[in-house]
Amino acid sequence: MVYRSGSREGRDGRDGRSVGAGVTPGGDPVLAARLTVPSVPGTFVRRERLVEQLDEGAGRPLTLVDGPAGAGKTLLVADWVTARAPGAVAWLTVEPQDSAPGVFWSYVLHALRHHGIALPEHIRGPARPGEVDHSLLARLAAWLNERDSRVILVLDEFDRVAESAAVADELQFVLRHAGDGLRLVVISRTEPLLPLYRYRAAGELVDIRADDLAFRAEETAALVDRHGLPLSAEAARALTERTEGWAAGLRLCALAAQRADDPESFLDDFEAGHSTVADFLLGEVLRAQPAETQDLLLRTSILERTHPDLTNALTGRDDAEPVLETLQRANAFVEPLGHSWYRLHSLFAEILRVRLRVRHPGLEPELHRRAAEWLSRAGLLDEALRHAADAGDWELAATELVGQLAIGRLLTGLAAERLDALFAGMAPEASGPAPDLVRAARELAHHDVDRGVTYLRRAEENLPDLGADSTDDAAATRLSCAVLRVLAARVVGSADLAETAARDAAEAEQALPADRLERSPELTALMLTDLGSAQLWAGRFDAARGTLSAAVDAAAEGLSTAFPRHEAPGRVAKVPPAGRRLARTLAAPDESPRTSSTRASARHAESTLPHARTTSRGGTPMTPPGPPSGRTTGLSQHALGRLALIDFLHGRPGQAEAHARGAVAEAERSGLPVAYRTGMPQLVLAAVAVDRDDLTAAQDHLDEAAATSAASRDPLMAVELAILRSRMLVARGDPRAALSALDDMTRQPLGSAEPSPWVSDRIAMATAAAHLADGDPKAAVKVFEEQPLHSPESRAAEARARVAAGDGERALRILDALPESRDQGPAVDVWLLLTRAQVLEARGDSPAAEGLVLRALAAARPHQLRRPFLEAGPWLGRLLRRPALAREHTWLTGTLAPHRAQPPPPEPLSAREQDVLERLAQLMSTEEIAADLHLSVNTVKTHLKSIYRKLAATRRGEAVRHARDLGLL
Amino acid sequence: MRYEIRVDGEMSDELTTAFPELKTFVVPSQTVLYGPVDDEAHLYGLLVRFQSLGLRVAEFRRLPE
Repeated sequence: MVYRSGSREGRDGRDGRSVGAGVTPGGDPVLAARLTVPSVPGTFVRRERLVEQLDEGAGRPLTLVDGPAGAGKTLLVADWVTARAPGAVAWLTVEPQDSAPGVFWSYVLHALRHHGIALPEHIRGPARPGEVDHSLLARLAAWLNERDSRVILVLDEFDRVAESAAVADELQFVLRHAGDGLRLVVISRTEPLLPLYRYRAAGELVDIRADDLAFRAEETAALVDRHGLPLSAEAARALTERTEGWAAGLRLCALAAQRADDPESFLDDFEAGHSTVADFLLGEVLRAQPAETQDLLLRTSILERTHPDLTNALTGRDDAEPVLETLQRANAFVEPLGHSWYRLHSLFAEILRVRLRVRHPGLEPELHRRAAEWLSRAGLLDEALRHAADAGDWELAATELVGQLAIGRLLTGLAAERLDALFAGMAPEASGPAPDLVRAARELAHHDVDRGVTYLRRAEENLPDLGADSTDDAAATRLSCAVLRVLAARVVGSADLAETAARDAAEAEQALPADRLERSPELTALMLTDLGSAQLWAGRFDAARGTLSAAVDAAAEGLSTAFPRHEAPGRVAKVPPAGRRLARTLAAPDESPRTSSTRASARHAESTLPHARTTSRGGTPMTPPGPPSGRTTGLSQHALGRLALIDFLHGRPGQAEAHARGAVAEAERSGLPVAYRTGMPQLVLAAVAVDRDDLTAAQDHLDEAAATSAASRDPLMAVELAILRSRMLVARGDPRAALSALDDMTRQPLGSAEPSPWVSDRIAMATAAAHLADGDPKAAVKVFEEQPLHSPESRAAEARARVAAGDGERALRILDALPESRDQGPAVDVWLLLTRAQVLEARGDSPAAEGLVLRALAAARPHQLRRPFLEAGPWLGRLLRRPALAREHTWLTGTLAPHRAQPPPPEPLSAREQDVLERLAQLMSTEEIAADLHLSVNTVKTHLKSIYRKLAATRRGEAVRHARDLGLL
Repeated sequence: MRYEIRVDGEMSDELTTAFPELKTFVVPSQTVLYGPVDDEAHLYGLLVRFQSLGLRVAEFRRLPE
């Protein structure tokens, strides 16, 4: 039984409207096309038996529609979605580059959003193309599971990512954990790598395969009838047999017969023939078209989607619009996507491409080149680059990438790996500044600074001038070059070089129109982050703070443009591009960080910056490119992490924590795998925890920081990690181990980094602190004699060492010489006050010392800074044990009194006891430990008793916990 | 490795240019393509190419060396 499509009128899809779409397509026609439910042509025959299968599938987790090209899979599901409205449907047409999981999931999330399914804030697009943090998928699944209504996710052309086991695994994971909240419909030419047998066995799969999709004789009759060709039952049966019920064959056959002089004899001839179905019929249909139409179809076959203007660029004529419209009305070859865009049927395009190569040998590269130029002008950079590469025109590809200010996308964001792979094919002959900049960016992205700098130098030699008559492209080239120079300067640790390059960048920015800069928020955010990092390394803290805050702002702006809520066209962004602030940042380094971060969060909350719009030649509004997920996603974690470190260094644990937690949240929302996080925020959190004497939390954060790749690549991270480890060891009562950890670190070369003045101060302070804890004040003093000091914090540390070594006068002179009022936080204040108190106490002025200790306590209390008191020495214990003080400061004395005032080092464990302890920590039983160590059970029990005694424990759990606290495990 | 592939229908000369690395001849109702296949990736690539051109593979076999 065949019904006529009930919804033919008014939905021939010319307006490209998508079903259930709460927002208009993202302005990007290519993206919109991937998210739009394809329109169903008037000649479509709805087949109830298949609709019933799909209905049934909506009640189960997985529906699989698989069959060969042209079997009618997409239209079947599109018609079902449109006519039956089975609930909230998100449609995604998969593309080959989506086989990178990060890219795939970012498009899935975008599809959900596009179809009006509002995702919560904690589920944000992945920031890395190659990987998605599993917790993001878990959050997505849990959220889908908890919703009241289900979401039907349709993945069309899934075969394009069929070889990606990771995508299949992740899809399976989300499907499993989303419960009834998610129904998956997979449309594919090949079977997906999902465990289909398991779904089948559990009755959780509806499988619509080639045999089901094949037309039956009566359905063939209905289809041909739609084309105005009544067919006898016998003829329908014969045609079905000849085409094996293949939808594309039937459709072409009807079109060809329509155009034949004698349709009936055409059908008879076709049935009797033996040619391959599609090729033969396509030839017949094509032959019936005017020569111009044939030429147009051959030339546009190199494109997946086309637009009248783009088509004209390929044909060199101006008749594309009427021709495409005629083709669409005839339901031949092209399908409208809305906004004047059309899609060629992929099967037909494939065959047409073969014909193009035969009939116009050598024309293909030229067509790709023209397409690249047009697409780039239209702001569709990703597509443009692919065609430029297909044309083998690498100078064009590199010039477009640089000209569109997109060089940063080789370094950050979802497109990074894909662009890197694309440009890996770049011919060595390609020359000029743009190809060299691309080469430099790729080398820098691969952490090969020397080679990167070599290419950068070569590019610099050929840079275009920024004269009065210079072009935007010249400015873009200079800006890109400057941004890469800032990056290189950061890696070698030179703030001077970074600042010089940043000034060049600012100058180049002045020569560029604002809307062009706005389209590349990641470029500014990247440069500011690198600049701020270089300034931080050089100890230019105020400048670094201003720059890094501006970087956070720039990244936030990038996010807001990445998830645009598209408003009425014509509204123009009023906010100046972040890059414009750069000149100001460089000129006025004292810009209050508070103002700028408040501004960032306010703007972030609004999130309504519309895209800048360009207009194509045909007057079609088009929006510049941008993958669905922010190119700046996850970028601000770097700047926030370094801001947190600056706060910590200036003794402000509260602000340090806030910045660090902001950075962690940003990385989590973006689904960044741990290895790609900066690690800096965790390191700062660990450092603050050490100051509070919360060693368990500190160890957790420290482990997280050490697990990131930055731990080995970033010299600042490497140094701060070593310092933090040494402080932990001192806190656990093992200053010797702390000293050897510091010694190891200073022996390792820090890459090619220029020395950092304050970093060597910090190493000296940590070393001296370990000597003091080891009861060797002379060694501590010696550290400072060998090391010229820079910061007041380290001068205070020297004073501490001097007074401990008995030179109170010298200590006092140092303290008195410190500048009076400084920009310092409570943590520094506490150290200064305690050091001065120690000097006064040593001179016998106890009342004055006590007053200072009280002030130190008041400053430390809001942040629970216990560490300075624990490390101050025995003199402080006498003061703190006084009842009045102890009562008022239980936050400190509670931890201090019982075991901390003079932490007795535990009696060392014997080697055997250590063996037993390690197995205890693995939850092995006494018997298992005995077996494992080839000891008797009684011997193990003896060892256990001894361990309990030495660790002051009464139970296994307690022993293990104490051992961990003491760093024995 | 050498393979012989049979697809349903008689391919046009134009269409056989999509497989420049293979030789072809037509038998009634079928086209035979044969020639060297470099490796497994090439093999799967061929299958995808047949599929994307709407060709039905009737037989796919490795020829004895």
